[in-house]
Amino acid sequence: MADRCAVVGVGQTNHTSCRADVSIAGLVREAVDRALADARISIDDVDAIVIGKAPDMLEGVAMPELWLAEALAAHGKPVFRVHTAGSVGGSTAIVAAQHVMAGIHGTVLTIGFEKQSDGNAMWALSVPIPFGMPVHAGAGGYFSPIVRGYINRSGAPSHIGVMVAVKDRTNACKNPYAHLHEPDWTLEKAMATPMLWDPIRFIETCPSSDGAMALVLMNEERADRHSGPKAWIHGTSMRSEPTAFAGREQVSPRAGELCAEDLWRKAGITNPAKEIDVVEMYVPFAWFEPMWLENLGFAERNQGWRMVEDGLTEMTGSLPVNPSGGVLSTNPIGASGMIRFGEACMQVMGKAGEHQIDGARKAVGHAYGGGSQFFAMWLVSSDKP
Amino acid sequence: MSAQSIGALSGDSFVAPLEVAYPYKRTVGTTLSRFFNSMIEGRLEGTRGSDGKVYCPPAEFDPITGAALTEWVTVGDEGTVSTWAWQSEPQPDQPLDRPFAWALITLDGADVPMLHAVDAGSIDRIGTGTRVKVRWAADRTGGITDIACFDLLEGARA
Repeated sequence: MADRCAVVGVGQTNHTSCRADVSIAGLVREAVDRALADARISIDDVDAIVIGKAPDMLEGVAMPELWLAEALAAHGKPVFRVHTAGSVGGSTAIVAAQHVMAGIHGTVLTIGFEKQSDGNAMWALSVPIPFGMPVHAGAGGYFSPIVRGYINRSGAPSHIGVMVAVKDRTNACKNPYAHLHEPDWTLEKAMATPMLWDPIRFIETCPSSDGAMALVLMNEERADRHSGPKAWIHGTSMRSEPTAFAGREQVSPRAGELCAEDLWRKAGITNPAKEIDVVEMYVPFAWFEPMWLENLGFAERNQGWRMVEDGLTEMTGSLPVNPSGGVLSTNPIGASGMIRFGEACMQVMGKAGEHQIDGARKAVGHAYGGGSQFFAMWLVSSDKP
Repeated sequence: MSAQSIGALSGDSFVAPLEVAYPYKRTVGTTLSRFFNSMIEGRLEGTRGSDGKVYCPPAEFDPITGAALTEWVTVGDEGTVSTWAWQSEPQPDQPLDRPFAWALITLDGADVPMLHAVDAGSIDRIGTGTRVKVRWAADRTGGITDIACFDLLEGARA
């Protein structure tokens, strides 16, 4: 029987396109200091540190854990590094939780970060590997045919993507940490933005951000003695699959379905759309919201876009998705998954401020990475499991 | 193989070169920027750690407590070699084009050594305890190479 684990502290940077005022170390440290302050503990109370960031190509730093030890105040403590492409923020938080659940460490600090301004994600993700077709199109070029596949398969009308984008950009205006604060989008203006990777429009893409997220996790004994609000972890799951294989379902990868099924089983969820109060979902391109709604079991196949069109994923809907503004408004890639996981915690802790979903008791954090190959999820609640 | 081929057969396997190169930048933040700016002015500054030790080049965060370091100390441009290695055949882009020493040099007023080059001339003129002095580069831009190298002080060998 695994130990119970709760998140007791959440801290993130003020995300923006270029944090010229801080080094990578200073960026990481800003999130760490805020998480420790939120948990009302000091670094001396932390038993172990789990750090995640990926891909290394984005900043050209292959082993940041080697020289971040000082900024993490890791002196004399174990440090672990996690690396699973864009899902890394989620899987890093899961590894941190597993250290607690396994009874190895009582208090664990975990951090995800990215300083995209020190490199160029578009080209870092477009390396022309010998013997492969050099597309030079970044993540958008990779995902656009998959988005078209979804549109064709589901019969979704063309405005669904911009509906998601306008929702997330509007939500982000309620989140002081979000990178983009753009209150004036309308569907008409959004539809008129340029087509970047047909059928993906400019408005439907994420920004490049500098940012970091840190969480403090405690075992049950310590969390019970901790007086602040807590986000109890009811389940975590991670699943993987290759980028390409014969018969692969690209629009709704099997690994994502398995990840969600495993999470629902562990957390005792039989009707996710009804039982989950809010979702922080990894949506770097707007069409992935309806796609993941189906992949994770919130909607039937080809029906996810109807939830968007009916406004169910708005903050006022029955299943709010990304009240923080999501990846579409803030994307420090190595941190983005942990921001989803941490924002889910903030919702059940009642700490989400203006983008708080009233009465949220069960929240899901979700991340994916690579060519939709790595999936990481957790379910947190204000109640003990 | 045609001129257009990207690979070559090596035994039973195709092998192709993969050279990955594109520009990155590195943001040092406001703390370390003070150090690099001071070097443009021909001055060396370090930070004082929680145990009182002075780091030059400065530490941004205390290696022992993790605290952000904010107390600045101007250190001397002379120092003492604690250990060294001899570069008998200098490579392109190294600080000197004749044999020289790589040395860990603790500047006067600092407690933690920095790595730099010493223009010692010959291997028998440098050792632990040798006294050295900064030779500033003529054009300084805010980088560790603003120190061109270190020169031996008269009667340097301890």
